[in-house]
Amino acid sequence: MLDLLLAAGPGTATSLSEQLPVTRQAVAKHLLVLDQAGLVHGTTAGRERRYQVDQAQLARAVAQLASVGASWDARLQRIKRIAEAIQRERDAERDA
Amino acid sequence: MGVEADMEYGSIDREIYVDASPEVVFEVVSRPEHLREWWPDDATLGDPAAGSTGELTFGGHGNESGIVVPMTVVESVPPRLFSFRWAYDPGLAPDPSNSFLVTLELIPSGPGTTLRLTETGFREQGWEVAVLEAAYQDHAESWDRFLPQLAEYVTRLVSAP
Repeated sequence: MLDLLLAAGPGTATSLSEQLPVTRQAVAKHLLVLDQAGLVHGTTAGRERRYQVDQAQLARAVAQLASVGASWDARLQRIKRIAEAIQRERDAERDA
Repeated sequence: MGVEADMEYGSIDREIYVDASPEVVFEVVSRPEHLREWWPDDATLGDPAAGSTGELTFGGHGNESGIVVPMTVVESVPPRLFSFRWAYDPGLAPDPSNSFLVTLELIPSGPGTTLRLTETGFREQGWEVAVLEAAYQDHAESWDRFLPQLAEYVTRLVSAP
C-alpha cells in the first residue's frame, strides 16, 4: 500500500481498495495502523479520509530498520562462527 | 531472497548459511551460554521451551550499571524453530504491544543449515525504538571487544577435554 501511495499520490480507502485484492474495510484498517505509525497522514476530504505518505518519516523508518538489519547481520555472523567452530570440534572428536 | 526490511509491516528478514548441523545451530541460538557470546553482554534463560523466561543484560562493565531486559520464549521446536519476545521496559512482561518478536527458523541445507531470522514489532513500538535496538550492541567498539573474546572462547571449546 505504501508503494501505491508513493507511486500514485494521496488516496482514500476506497480508491486504494480498487487497486488491491482486499476489501475497503481492510484497507481502512491498515491505513489507520500506518497513520498511527506515522508513515502516512490522513486529512478529512469530503466523506473519506485522504492519506498520503509522510516522506520524512518513511525515510527515517527506512534508515532505522536498515540499522537494525545491520545489527542482526553482525549477530548472524557471530552465530555462524560459533556454530561452525563447535561443529568442527565435534567432528574432530568423533573422528579421533 | 525477499525484501530485507518490510516498512509496511515493520519487520526485517535476514538469512545466512551455517556450515553446521541444525542441532548445533539450535544450541547456539537458544542456550544462554552461547547467546551471551553473540548478542548481549550476559544472558540467563531457562530451558528453551515455550513460556521459558530469561534476561538479557547490556553494558554493566566497571562502574556503569547494565540494562536488563526480559525475554520470553514463544515457540521452541528443536532443531527447527526458536522464537522469543524481548522487551525494553524491564518492568513489563513482553507481549505484542511492548516487545519485539524474534523468530529463528533453521532449515537443513545440504551438510549445513540455513538460518532465517525475522524480527517484527517496529511499527508498533515506534521507529525510535529501532535505533535503541541497534544501539544495544554492535557499535564498532563492542565488535572490537567481542572478537578477542570469540577467539578465546573457541580456543577453550576446542581444547576442552
